[in-house]
Amino acid sequence: MVKKKTLIIVNISLGFLAFLLLLSLFDVTIPSLGKAAFVVDQSDPVCLVSWNGEFNDRGNLDRCCLEAREQSSCRRTQTPEGQSDIKWVCGEGGTNVQYWLNAKAYNYCKQQVIW
Amino acid sequence: MVKHKKKRWLDAQKVFVILLLIIVVLSALSIAKFYGLLIPELPQTIVHGNTVYLDSMSLETKIAQMVVVIGDRRMITPWKNMHVGGIHMYTLPTEYIFNNTVIDFQYNQKIPFFVTSDLEGCFNPFSRFRNFTAASEVTTLGDAFEKGFFEGEYLKSLGINLNFAPVVDLNDSIWKCRAFPGDVEKISKLANSYVLGLQSQGILATAKHYPGKTLVVKDPHKFVVGAEISNDDILPYGYLYDKGGIKAIMVSHLITTGSIDSQGVPSVVSPKVIQDIKDQYPGILVISDEIHMLGLRNFYQNIDEVYIAVFKAGNDVVLNFDRDPNEIYRMIQIIRDAVARGEISESQIDESVTKILKVKGFNVA
Repeated sequence: MVKKKTLIIVNISLGFLAFLLLLSLFDVTIPSLGKAAFVVDQSDPVCLVSWNGEFNDRGNLDRCCLEAREQSSCRRTQTPEGQSDIKWVCGEGGTNVQYWLNAKAYNYCKQQVIW
Repeated sequence: MVKHKKKRWLDAQKVFVILLLIIVVLSALSIAKFYGLLIPELPQTIVHGNTVYLDSMSLETKIAQMVVVIGDRRMITPWKNMHVGGIHMYTLPTEYIFNNTVIDFQYNQKIPFFVTSDLEGCFNPFSRFRNFTAASEVTTLGDAFEKGFFEGEYLKSLGINLNFAPVVDLNDSIWKCRAFPGDVEKISKLANSYVLGLQSQGILATAKHYPGKTLVVKDPHKFVVGAEISNDDILPYGYLYDKGGIKAIMVSHLITTGSIDSQGVPSVVSPKVIQDIKDQYPGILVISDEIHMLGLRNFYQNIDEVYIAVFKAGNDVVLNFDRDPNEIYRMIQIIRDAVARGEISESQIDESVTKILKVKGFNVA
């Protein structure tokens, strides 16, 4: 038999959960941890493209996110030689382009509706 | 006292059961909403044999036919219910999944989807399974034709029917692999051979990124940049059109001056740029860049204004890769309302849909 106090705590939790579900049905969203991580990180977003071992700055971050997402899934990586602060790589490499993102850029991309 | 305590305990139990039921219902509704199951099915179009009756299409259905969305099979029901015009394929884990996704989408479709991809060579969503020659490594017309042929053959095997290639930008200083080598004349000829190879496999080609200079300009601090366009930049488009192979042009988000003046706004929302394309290359499909890539937040207050601007400018096909089907449906309704109040003409919508259906192989009555 569940204790009454426990049941009251459960009821309050369920009530809160119902409230959140209702908000979400009406498109009221709560900022995610990912968004918080993006805001807290004060560094500049970095997106590099590489082909045949040559790295270049992609520039436009929105396009970087789309192109990276299109090519291949992204995975954690070591920072390539000669670069700094890179944490993620998207793409298979070889004869194909790869996209290299720092944490700030990756968190930005994850927030995009196209990602 | 004991009776009172027992009553309060029973009340707590009742509240628990009621809350549980409410959560089950709200969860079911949330899941249905997430998968777009609450979006009503738009009216069916009358198709007899190879003829589509345009008048049988509701305004919303026509607008939807102009939209290419992301080919996420979790959203197959809302995309089919909305009768969207096309699906774009990102990378997927296996070729089998690619194939089956396309088959499931196309199953029982009166008007087939465009199934689009961004295969350029070094830019390759299928890099897990297959590699292709980079455009920069193609030096002869034979190589260019072969490149198009083998890419087309592969895309056809997966069920893809529209490829966003070739790139006809004259220079690529960022990737160093996406543009054909040589001067403008050579690039035009190589691109044309590529198109012939691709289209020999039944895959539609798209010349991009009109009006050029998209692979050279960059500003890490801005989302939209400007470029001066020369006659050479747009020469490949005229060449490809005159040769008769190209069926679509994709418009970029650059603000341009010079030979193509976008009048201070990104090309893709410039009515002047779009109308110039339609005047120079009659019958060609004008495809927008992906709608969230446009950096238009600098120009418009909100996404609703972006939607209206892209359609109002005259694009025939609008790429919107937002995974939320409710947002796509909302966009369709926004455009419908814009047409209803006269901000966008319905004849413009009809013209775009007619072009789309003809490219898909239908007669339009």
